[in-house]
Amino acid sequence: MTGITTLVAVVLIVGPALFRPPTRPTVVGLVGPAAQALAPALQTTGKAAGVDITTASVSDDSAARSELTPSRTSGRGQLGQLLSSLQGGQATLDVALTVDSSSATIEFYQTVSPTLAALVRAVVQEAHQRDVLIQGGVPTSVVGAAQQPEPISTVTLLATQSDMAGRSIAALAAGILLFVSVGIFGSAVASGVAQEKTSRTAEVLLAAVTPSQLMTGKVIGIGLVGIGQMAVTVGAALIANAVVKSSAVPPEVWTLLPAILLWFALGYLLYAFGFAAAGAMVARQEEVQSVSAPFTVFLIGGYLLMYASIASPDASWVRIASYVPPLMPLLIPARLALGHLAIWEMPLAVLIMLASIYGMARLTGRIYSTSLVRGGPRLSWMAALRLR
Amino acid sequence: MLEISDLYQSFGERIAVDKLSLTVGKGELVGLVGRNGAGKTTTMRAVMGIFQPLGGSIKWSGRPVALPDRLRFGYMPEERGLYPQMRVLDQIAYFARLHGVELAAARKQAQKWLETLGLEGRGQDRVVALSHGNQQRVQLAVALVYQPELLVLDEPFAGLDPSAVDSLSDVLRAEVARGTAVLFSSHQLDLVERLCQRVVILEQGRVLASGTLDELRARLPQRLRVKVTTSVDWTSGLMGTEVIGSDSEGVLLAIAPGTDTQALLRVAMAAGSVEHFGFESGGLLELYRQLVTS
Repeated sequence: MTGITTLVAVVLIVGPALFRPPTRPTVVGLVGPAAQALAPALQTTGKAAGVDITTASVSDDSAARSELTPSRTSGRGQLGQLLSSLQGGQATLDVALTVDSSSATIEFYQTVSPTLAALVRAVVQEAHQRDVLIQGGVPTSVVGAAQQPEPISTVTLLATQSDMAGRSIAALAAGILLFVSVGIFGSAVASGVAQEKTSRTAEVLLAAVTPSQLMTGKVIGIGLVGIGQMAVTVGAALIANAVVKSSAVPPEVWTLLPAILLWFALGYLLYAFGFAAAGAMVARQEEVQSVSAPFTVFLIGGYLLMYASIASPDASWVRIASYVPPLMPLLIPARLALGHLAIWEMPLAVLIMLASIYGMARLTGRIYSTSLVRGGPRLSWMAALRLR
Repeated sequence: MLEISDLYQSFGERIAVDKLSLTVGKGELVGLVGRNGAGKTTTMRAVMGIFQPLGGSIKWSGRPVALPDRLRFGYMPEERGLYPQMRVLDQIAYFARLHGVELAAARKQAQKWLETLGLEGRGQDRVVALSHGNQQRVQLAVALVYQPELLVLDEPFAGLDPSAVDSLSDVLRAEVARGTAVLFSSHQLDLVERLCQRVVILEQGRVLASGTLDELRARLPQRLRVKVTTSVDWTSGLMGTEVIGSDSEGVLLAIAPGTDTQALLRVAMAAGSVEHFGFESGGLLELYRQLVTS
């Protein structure tokens, strides 16, 4: 199972990278001498705007149109043609520019980036203004000085805004990690306990271990296997990502990793003890899902609230909801990642969570010792707690 | 020695075991019999610590039973408990490990018990692939693999074919010879009679009777079967006797202690030709019926 999950993760990362066309500079075809004279200005302006531009001289308009049209059979052999068609073909030119004495034309095949179009327009406009001013008798030096860019400095008032994207990704990563892991491994705890109960293996086990040992071993054992499996899958995905340079992992994710892992462990323990109690109450394996529904509802609710909290992390309802124990593992890391958790809140939240885990473990231990070897129909939560 | 004293357990309003006491010595095989709901399983579960009883005490070698003691107890529950998807050898070795046996020794012992119980060559099969009888043998191997000092077996013979019954009987005798104390329950009273040194009969959570078969018989009136060829009712007015049955084999009389049986014989002979005059010692089944109905 882990092998398949890991393979799927690697394929999802490596696959798109294989079919992604190699990055190349934006090629602007310059038709005619007037346009070709703008080549240095286009390259300089492009560099200033962060757009890698190269220029190519094109003899006439029909040649430009031909080079703007993507070629669908550019690959060699059948595989090459298949890849080429999957990639949508590659044109020689991205944009063609024609300039004459009275007008200029920017041509592209289907779409062009607004930045590139604005950049080409600005260069043409600047050249036109220069020509008009010089023809009007303005000295070349004055025109040149007027067209020198004024140094403009930028000031960001909200200093943290620049890393908000990375922080949001870190918050999402923490939430998704917990949601997926608890969803899979918490259910595995419930199913494992239910199987030991319904197959009566629990009775043989309880002759050798105490109920609390059995319960703790189940939760920690499945948790460790789960963490190992997740580590293999996430590790393989990160390695694949690094090899194919698919997408950069924001540095904020690494900075927040210890906190993410801490809340993952706390969240897993709280939910896993709950799922273990649910598994001990069933009469048949098929009942696991319905008995563990209260925990599933909190998990899904917390997951959805996490998205809402990322949109408005300083809202009062987020602060209040983030102290409801089953929601804490999803909302506290999100608030932390987004920089909206006061320093004193973290230890307080951890203490509340540890107390909740202890309470849940006691509750589960009680249900375990009375319900695990009990026959008969499925127990309700109240009935299980009343048993002696 | 296992000593259960005044064991009490109730589930809600229902009293499952009421002031129950019994002992099982080392090298002794004690059979626990009784109708469904008599308290056999509850008693065994209490011994194995599956639940904490509400009253009474359970001691092993003079001390209250604790977890380290139970690691030396072998247990076969009434409803079998095995991991269905685990391989047979791994399963037996796993339970041995759970009872403190080293890995290598656990696998070696598991292999030995597979061979002893006629499951050689099935070690790599999954439990779910075995027949009911073979799963039962695996369950027994799980109880025996760590050489327990006390064996608690709840209905170990249920559902076994005759050859498996013989095989299990041999294993139990061998364990007893090794010095193991064995407490087992069964509804197959012929087996209990054949195997056990002592029998404990439970009824409604209480010990109705316990002891060897002879001791149990001594608790009941002697039974005398007399066949007389006569046309008169010679049994009416006899002192110290009660007619408890009559068929073509004669009449069955319950004889009160101290009754002069020679005088009885003389009355029979006076009535007609005596074809049969002898005591009957019923088997455990008969004893059980008499004890439960009396």
